[in-house]
Amino acid sequence: MGGGRIPPDLLEAQAGMTPSSPSSGPDAASARAAGVSVAVRARPRRWLASQTSRRLAFGYLLLAPAVLYVLLLVGAPFVFSLFMALSDASVADTTASFVGLENFRAAFESDVFFIALRNSIGFTLVAALFKGMLGTSLAFLLLQPFWGKKFIRGLVVIPFTLPISISVLGWKWMYDSQFSVINWFLSTIGVIGSYGSADWPIWLGQPHLALAACIMVNVWRNFPFSAIVLLAGFTSVPNEILDAARVDGTSFFQRFRHVVVPMIAPILLIGFLFDTVFTLSDLGVVYLLTQGGPANATKILPVLAYQVGIQAGALGRGAAIALFLFPLLLPLMILMLRNLKRREY
Amino acid sequence: MMQQPAKPAPSALNRRNFLATAGAGVAGSSLLTMLDARQAPAQIKGTTLRILQWSHFIPAYDAWYDKFAKEWGEKNGVKVRVDHIPHLDIPARMAAEFAAGAGHDIIYNGSSILTRLYYKNLVDLTDVSEAAAKKYGGWIPAAKSLVEVEGRWYGLPIFYILAPMTYRKDLFEQNNLKAPDTWELARVAARTLKPKGHPTGIALSQCADANLFWRSMFWSFGGTEATPSGDAPTIDSKELREFLKFAKAIFDEGMTPEVFSWDDASDNRYLASGIACWIHDAISAYRTTEDTNPEVFKNLVLMLEPQGLPGKRVSAAAPNVWMVWKFSKNQQAAKEFLTYLIDNDLEGMVQSRGYNMPYLNDRYKKPMPVIGTDPKLQILQDFPKIVAFYGQPGPSTTPIQEIVNTFVFPDMITKFCRGMAMEEAIKWGVGEYRRIYSKHKQA
Repeated sequence: MGGGRIPPDLLEAQAGMTPSSPSSGPDAASARAAGVSVAVRARPRRWLASQTSRRLAFGYLLLAPAVLYVLLLVGAPFVFSLFMALSDASVADTTASFVGLENFRAAFESDVFFIALRNSIGFTLVAALFKGMLGTSLAFLLLQPFWGKKFIRGLVVIPFTLPISISVLGWKWMYDSQFSVINWFLSTIGVIGSYGSADWPIWLGQPHLALAACIMVNVWRNFPFSAIVLLAGFTSVPNEILDAARVDGTSFFQRFRHVVVPMIAPILLIGFLFDTVFTLSDLGVVYLLTQGGPANATKILPVLAYQVGIQAGALGRGAAIALFLFPLLLPLMILMLRNLKRREY
Repeated sequence: MMQQPAKPAPSALNRRNFLATAGAGVAGSSLLTMLDARQAPAQIKGTTLRILQWSHFIPAYDAWYDKFAKEWGEKNGVKVRVDHIPHLDIPARMAAEFAAGAGHDIIYNGSSILTRLYYKNLVDLTDVSEAAAKKYGGWIPAAKSLVEVEGRWYGLPIFYILAPMTYRKDLFEQNNLKAPDTWELARVAARTLKPKGHPTGIALSQCADANLFWRSMFWSFGGTEATPSGDAPTIDSKELREFLKFAKAIFDEGMTPEVFSWDDASDNRYLASGIACWIHDAISAYRTTEDTNPEVFKNLVLMLEPQGLPGKRVSAAAPNVWMVWKFSKNQQAAKEFLTYLIDNDLEGMVQSRGYNMPYLNDRYKKPMPVIGTDPKLQILQDFPKIVAFYGQPGPSTTPIQEIVNTFVFPDMITKFCRGMAMEEAIKWGVGEYRRIYSKHKQA
């Protein structure tokens, strides 16, 4: 910064703020007082007409569409859902009364809510871990030169682009208690016994296995997204820097840890943030696979919120359940955005 | 002096009241005349009627329905548009249409019947239901619990889906087992046949089958879910304990943990694959087996709901109901169409291959179409007297809908079958019932 001249209107404003000499005598003081009061009255008008104010106004004008967009598409629904969570809103009533924190109290009274909260956190963390590992591996594989690379890159995004209802139905068949292709394969190679034996896994029927099965589908659907984000990051690292690191005798993992990751950290953080939001609010996989069963073993907050808020019509209580995602996400977002900002300077 | 003419006594009927009364009278009488003459009024000509319909399990029914609606429209000069969506999406669509105050004129509800939730925003269909009752010998007893609020009908029951007992005659005969006319006999059969590779199964997961079929068993053991008025839950009872003991026994002795993972079609596949010794499901299972495994199919026998207590049979059925939005600008055409649909519900039954069971008494004159002519299905004609819906013996109230949608009842059984102590499972389930009822009372 610097180098430019100070604008004349700022110089004037600075002159007006210069303190008067205490030795000037009473007449001079009153004359100065009159002059100052005139200057104070005249200043706002001059400031409004000044170049700085015009520049500021133009800046805000350019920002306005983005601010308006965020307010309309994010702010308004959020405030509305907050209002609903604090009211007795029902899907069948256009009016609602304020009930304070009653809906939150109702959520705390139900042990299903705590199961859903625990599952949501576990689901997101485990899925993020696997998506990170698989996405990184896939991104490295796709960086390598091989025949048909572009075609393979196109194929990789298929799970991400398929309609969720179709892909989850496919998985439902693969997890079928009787006709599971996964089980038939494992049985054929001798890892498990035959159908009906004690070690025949019932993917969607055993509590921990059911949650793992849901996480697996989420990972399968979304790790290509992680891979593509990482691929974009990897390709942005200049080869010269990697070559220099190689010349310095670094190993692959050292280069990855000390060169690549710090350089693509902003992309990684944004990708992680998006993925966390998508996973925490993912209703489709669990709803289509198990509806939260057996006995709520796979219930997550979005499914519970949908069942209470929409299917049972208690919109207020549903909104309160859904809003619990917010305190989960907020600290994470603040941490990430702060980290990101620090890296920019 | 001329006498002043006597001032007329003030009448309660002012001009506005007169117009309103006369208008209502004309509209009412013309509707009754139309209903009687089965002729659409000229006013509906040139209008559009939008119908939201589920995607039926029998695709041929959807094809027939679309053609049927279109032809009615052509006959009456009404442009009819039918949209099909999965039945699980209907509550969300209803909420969206209500919030927007726009959408379809006629809306379908299946399984989750939301009449009591939305009734203030639905058209009173009492006139249509009364006309149908008069014409076809009245409604079956359970029908009004679905749609009646404060003495008025805000929906029109169109069909329900029942679930008979379906068993393998060959396996039963080979093992000298009696036909499962009671739940005890069904348990003995499952206990005998499971070690021979033919267990049974009723879904113990979060699906409609689990909600329905365990309730059939519970109600047949004398249990009830709510008071007749629907105000309070009555589930915490001696009957619940007896039922749970029986449910655990039948699970342990005759089922496998597969039932924890089942969806609504799993038992169909279980039967069609030749594994199941019996299942308790809609006739879709019977149809699937007919299409995929003729060898098993020829040995299938359908039975009435098994007795729990002696002589006590209650069959939980999946209801289907039509409603008309109050915001609809074409309410008259909607009523006309629904009347026509009721008149042709037997054709709907044929097109659904006997799946759609009517609610009107006269429709049960034997032989009924499809099921009356198939010796194996004839027993289905005797179901209307024992059919009940969620909330039995009370109506399908809003707390009951939440209990159904959050699977409290099958979850309570699941917890017990998975090893939780019975009283602990009951404490959880009854606690959930009470909590949900109290939340709806507060609202």
